Amino acid sequence: MARSSRRGRGKKTNVTPLIIGGLGLLVVLLAAMLFFKPATRSNTAAKPFNIAQYRQDGSRFASTGNRYVLEGKVENIETHGDNRMVAISMANNRNERLPLLVPGSRQLPINITRGDTFIFDVSCRTGRDASGNEVKGILVVNDVRTK
Amino acid sequence: MNTLRYFTLIPLMVGIAAAQMPSSFDASGRSTQAQSGVSNDDPNRVGETPPPQMFGMELPLLDPSNDTMSYGGAKFDVGNNAVVRERFEKFLRQTPDDSEASRIYRKKLESILDYTQRYSKSSDKIGSKTLVKIGTGLYDMSSYPGDGEQSGTLASAIVSALDVQRANRRRDQANAELDKEIDKLITKTNTLTNRNTQKGNRSSKTSQGGGSNGGYTSHTYLIAANTSKIAEKKAKQPANEAASLASLQAAKINYQALVVWFLAQRRYDHAVIGARVYRHVFKDGDTEVKLDKNSDAYKMAFGISGLPPTINTVDALANNARREVQQSIDAVFSALAQNKLGEATNRLITAVAAGEYMQCVATFPSKDRQRIAEYWTLRKRSLTALNARDYDNVERIADEMKKLDSEFDDSLLRSYTSGKKRQSNFALRSARKALAEGNDEEFRKHVTEAAVIWPLNPNLDKGEEEIAKLDSFEPQKAEFKVLVERKEYRTIYNERERFKVVATDPELEKKYTEVLEHVARIDATLAELESFAKQDRTIGPCTAYEKLDEMKKNNELYAADKKFMNEYNRYASEAHDFVEAIRYAEDCEARGEHGSALACYYRARCFYPNSNLAKAGADRVTAIIVSAQY
Repeated sequence: MARSSRRGRGKKTNVTPLIIGGLGLLVVLLAAMLFFKPATRSNTAAKPFNIAQYRQDGSRFASTGNRYVLEGKVENIETHGDNRMVAISMANNRNERLPLLVPGSRQLPINITRGDTFIFDVSCRTGRDASGNEVKGILVVNDVRTK
Repeated sequence: MNTLRYFTLIPLMVGIAAAQMPSSFDASGRSTQAQSGVSNDDPNRVGETPPPQMFGMELPLLDPSNDTMSYGGAKFDVGNNAVVRERFEKFLRQTPDDSEASRIYRKKLESILDYTQRYSKSSDKIGSKTLVKIGTGLYDMSSYPGDGEQSGTLASAIVSALDVQRANRRRDQANAELDKEIDKLITKTNTLTNRNTQKGNRSSKTSQGGGSNGGYTSHTYLIAANTSKIAEKKAKQPANEAASLASLQAAKINYQALVVWFLAQRRYDHAVIGARVYRHVFKDGDTEVKLDKNSDAYKMAFGISGLPPTINTVDALANNARREVQQSIDAVFSALAQNKLGEATNRLITAVAAGEYMQCVATFPSKDRQRIAEYWTLRKRSLTALNARDYDNVERIADEMKKLDSEFDDSLLRSYTSGKKRQSNFALRSARKALAEGNDEEFRKHVTEAAVIWPLNPNLDKGEEEIAKLDSFEPQKAEFKVLVERKEYRTIYNERERFKVVATDPELEKKYTEVLEHVARIDATLAELESFAKQDRTIGPCTAYEKLDEMKKNNELYAADKKFMNEYNRYASEAHDFVEAIRYAEDCEARGEHGSALACYYRARCFYPNSNLAKAGADRVTAIIVSAQY
């Protein structure tokens, strides 16, 4: 108590410029971060995926932030024209199969093979069929990389 | 020959009618054939064959609508013959008259017949006294009740003829007296004429001498008076002759009519007596019958025989009839002695019909009458039974008749009844077949046919039971229909024995079979799936569920079966994860959540990799996903 008093009495320091300078530095850093963020990355980062919820209501995944990173083993691949439908099993639940659409228009950096495990960057989307009806909650592969 | 034909024709017809009448008339006189409601002319009469010959006669013969009888292709009016039949039955019921009065009557009759026969053989003429004696005897006979005053009538006719003869003789005597008187008057007149002539000569001489002529005048008047008397007497003679002739003709006609009437009335004894006496009553030798040729009596006596219409013909006909009747009676006794009751009956019918009043018929023994009456009753009963189509009874009666008459030929009767019974049973067999096929209409038609052919067929009772049973099926049929409508096939299946009777209806039978097959198919499938599920507790329930689910979706009747649904739900419970995945998938698919649906189908395949349901769903959803634009 005494030391505190002594310190306060003996040498009086002005901290206001330090505070202002710190705030300014912070603003600069934030601006730099925003400025340097990659354009391909959307405004939402990849989130964990709840398969049980997806099975119940897939379209909800499309509306509440639609980008996800999934790791899974390729169990089956079906080719439908240029498109492929890939069934993967999640690491934590081998009894589940999650359908992923690989559009033909998407150029993937690696070849997806059956029995291998990959990390899929997917978006949950709602499309429309030829009649204009909604096709809800489809997981479309954006990117893939090996584990 | 013609005479014989004449006298055999009547009893033949009478006999036929008498034998046939019972088959068509009952005691009240109504036609049993009509009562039975079956007409021979009925085109709908089923299974009728031409009437057979029985007892030597055609059956049936009578047409009740007009009382005509068909026999040998001809039709006869049987009205009169029915009367003869009644008389024959009455004859059988009567006891022969063996009283003292009867014996005296028969003795007198035979005496007169012998008497007249003796004189008819000789050339001697019967005098009036003899004729009076015959007439007196006939008068005596008429007091016997059985004579029916016929003898008295003949006696009166003889006496009347004799009276006419006497009157004629008196007229002949009167004419003879007139002749004598005329002769006397002529003689007297001639004498007076001669005298007048002599006096005239003398007067002319006198007048020439101036004498008087007064005596001449008185003779002339006498001659004129005598001449007038002669004329009057001569005029009386033709009148007497004409009166005699007329009386004689009238007497002949009356007498002849009576004799012919005796013949027609089958009083042959009296006809013979009258005919034999005739030539002694009417001694002029004229035996020609003077009756009107259009009269019934003339036609009856001479219309059929073709013989000359004389009293001698009547005598011959009556004698022939007497002989025929006597021979018939002799034949009856002979047949009875040999126990040939059928033949004896036929001969007796002939004898009674032809000569009911002849002594040999009237005195026919009571014991023999009873034997024939017994046989006659059986014959009537057989014909009545045959007419009523009571074939069992006909055969029983035939047995009885066979016992009474060993020569009774029952083969035709038995073949006829046997054929009819078999025909009726064939119809019943067709009815049973129709019943088995569930053809109610055909069944009733064949039963009716069988009943028409043989109304008392004992198998008809079984047919009635079948009909009753058929009617008792109605509640079960109604219950069956309700259960089918409610799709409660399992209930029907569980009580299939009780509902088996609905097979009598072709449509229900088809449904019944369909129900049984349906439930049996369910049970077989469930048994198979149960076995499979026990082998693999993981996949098995999924397989069973998917199979049952497929069946349920394809045919709603499966969902109506409780056992099926119980098993369906059990397997759904045992394969809960799989079923839940499938149901989620279907739900998501319905909501357009294709991503989720596909994930669920994938999940279902994780539990049951071979699931057709999951594969089909996944394929269906995948096709939608890959074709959409994102």
